[in-house]
Amino acid sequence: MRTQRMLTGLLLCLLLIMGAAAAAQDTTLTMLTHWGTEGQLAAQQAIIDAYMEANPEVAIELVTVDFGELRTKIITGRTAGISADVYHFYHLWLPDFVNAGVLAEPPQDSLTYINDNVAQGTIDAVSTSDGQTWGYPTEVNPYLLVYNKRLLAEAGYDAPPANWEELKEIAAAITQVDDTGAISQLGLGVMAGWDSGIVHPFSALLFSNGGAYLSEDRTIAEFNSAEGVETLQLYADLVANGGTDASISGLGDFPSGTVGMVIMAPWWRATLRAAEGIDFDTEVGVAEIPVGPSGDAPSSIAYTWLFAVDSNSPNKPAAWDFIHWMNAEQEAGAGSAIGDFLVNALGAIPSFNHDQAAFAESMSDHYVSAFVAASAYAQPEQIVAGGQEIKTLLQVEIEAVLAGMTNPEEALASVEMQANAILEEHRMMAEE
Amino acid sequence: MQARLSRRRRAWWLPEIPKSALMRRRMLWAYAFVAAPVVALLVFLLGPILFSGWVSLHRWDMLSPVSEMPWRGLSNYRYLLTKDPVFLKSLGNTFFFAIGGVGANTILGLGFALLLNSRIRGRAIWRVLYFMPVITAPLALAVMFAFIFDRNYGLVNNVITAIGLPRQPFLSGPNQALLTLVFIAVYQFVGYYIVLFLAGLQGIPQDYYDAAQVDGAGKLQEFRYITLPLLRPVMLFVVVTNTIGALQVFDLVFATTGGAPANSSMTVVLHMYNTAFKFSRMGRASAMAFILFGIILLITIVQVRLLRDRAYQD
Repeated sequence: MRTQRMLTGLLLCLLLIMGAAAAAQDTTLTMLTHWGTEGQLAAQQAIIDAYMEANPEVAIELVTVDFGELRTKIITGRTAGISADVYHFYHLWLPDFVNAGVLAEPPQDSLTYINDNVAQGTIDAVSTSDGQTWGYPTEVNPYLLVYNKRLLAEAGYDAPPANWEELKEIAAAITQVDDTGAISQLGLGVMAGWDSGIVHPFSALLFSNGGAYLSEDRTIAEFNSAEGVETLQLYADLVANGGTDASISGLGDFPSGTVGMVIMAPWWRATLRAAEGIDFDTEVGVAEIPVGPSGDAPSSIAYTWLFAVDSNSPNKPAAWDFIHWMNAEQEAGAGSAIGDFLVNALGAIPSFNHDQAAFAESMSDHYVSAFVAASAYAQPEQIVAGGQEIKTLLQVEIEAVLAGMTNPEEALASVEMQANAILEEHRMMAEE
Repeated sequence: MQARLSRRRRAWWLPEIPKSALMRRRMLWAYAFVAAPVVALLVFLLGPILFSGWVSLHRWDMLSPVSEMPWRGLSNYRYLLTKDPVFLKSLGNTFFFAIGGVGANTILGLGFALLLNSRIRGRAIWRVLYFMPVITAPLALAVMFAFIFDRNYGLVNNVITAIGLPRQPFLSGPNQALLTLVFIAVYQFVGYYIVLFLAGLQGIPQDYYDAAQVDGAGKLQEFRYITLPLLRPVMLFVVVTNTIGALQVFDLVFATTGGAPANSSMTVVLHMYNTAFKFSRMGRASAMAFILFGIILLITIVQVRLLRDRAYQD
């Protein structure tokens, strides 16, 4: 009997303690991101801890998944009724999420702050065609030609290629194949198996050849043009002259010093700095995208990410307050917490003007400064409902050309037909 | 007379109510215990299957409320069977994978089981060696083989070029990726089928072989007229379960090629996964699941009929 009473007393005490703890932190937010390396986790946790110290009534839980699983996690989480409050996601998914009612509209204060502190092109990248902005833009990622100075010099070149003829020539000159047919060194690395790793470099080359991805009103695909066919023919020519080979991963092998060139984004800086096969300061070079025969100036593609709030979140005001706190400047000239994270932990370019000013010095190294310059002219990735599906279809056909399974004309015609059907389907669904 | 009438009136599916109160109480408890797994089965197995069938007749992105799914009738099925080149390609790839895998597993499984059933040295060690891949995590095996079959640095290419043969692309080659996946799957599962065949072989009485030897039968005749017929129940199990597993292959392809290059190693379940979670087309993915279910059911019925009838006749 006495034991029973003691146990009841203990249980009551426990409940009281838990109740008190819950009362002390009466709002719990979950933030879902894809920044999952050890250093990135520690940096994000430091931001969260600082916010919780300033706002003891709010508890924040950080959840990270690999980029490849992020969209699936958001979708399945919502279907299961356990969605996060705050998402950090790729802007290409925005139209799909908005059409499905996943996102909450930002409060007017946030919209005003974004409008006052972010370039219009970046705001457009996180807005739907009706002009509604859905969150705080974070990293801006244009693509450029990243090259290994040592391998170019060994092949007899002291400058990166400026046009496609030079690109083919230099790539072929760098490639080395041993007696058994093994590629020990490759000219231009591609990133097979990863949609962005294939489609973004293709788009950067397409734009530098005067081509377009979608029409301006985003209702039809425009990559199946003379400029598009020339771009894909470049890949076929590079395969034929040995300048590229899909069996070598540009993403994995450039840092090991066995790939001469790769078309890549600024967030790679942390990887390159830590790489053992290439010296970041003396061997990594960055150049504009080589211009194609139908182009007249270098161009590129830029994609972005954004922080947004789930429409099912029971704590929307708290979630927006947290996002605003992360992105707003705490002291004049000091930049924001996320700006600091993007620039120093990731090597990415932040969206907010105050961050670009505050961290200008950190972005002035030979690597990021080139991307900062490119962000002024790079074309934002066109976001559209069904955009992810179109991108994957295009990736598969580009890989088919790389594998010698099809030719550029057939590949682009096939994707164009499917892409237009997807765009039409989503338009009809919106009208329903 | 009254009791007989009431028994006649009772519906066939209703249980007979015992007269004793104790028995009635016991019966109630029995039904209560049975009810729990039945309800779990309905909620977690039958429910999702029916829901998936319902979804396959709609367009659903998994994000919009279920109540707002637009009705599409059979258009998802029509699209898959007439307009989706990736689905048709993945169906062909899956059949190739299943036929190759089941054929190789059955022949090699039986062959190695016959060897292990004979008086060879270190039988226990061989059994352990063959069974080890079965207990290895499939994803770990897949990653290991991705390295082993690498075009440029892989062990296999180093060996074949050392003996003067040309370097092969294996997993990165459109004509070799699927064949390489079949090889990996056979390596992974053949040990399991060896154990099954071995158990079957050890269940065949020695008397039959002794009698056959007295009648002057040779080893081949013993195999043809004793071993094979008596192994048919095991063969049936091996072929049916292996076929079902092979038609549902996912993890191996996901971790090695991801369906690349250019869908040349894409399988139905991987395409289903991409369609559902990458493209948010749950209706179309559910339709794929039902088409695959129909195919598996049909093949299983044919296999069971072909092998079972003969097994029982023998």
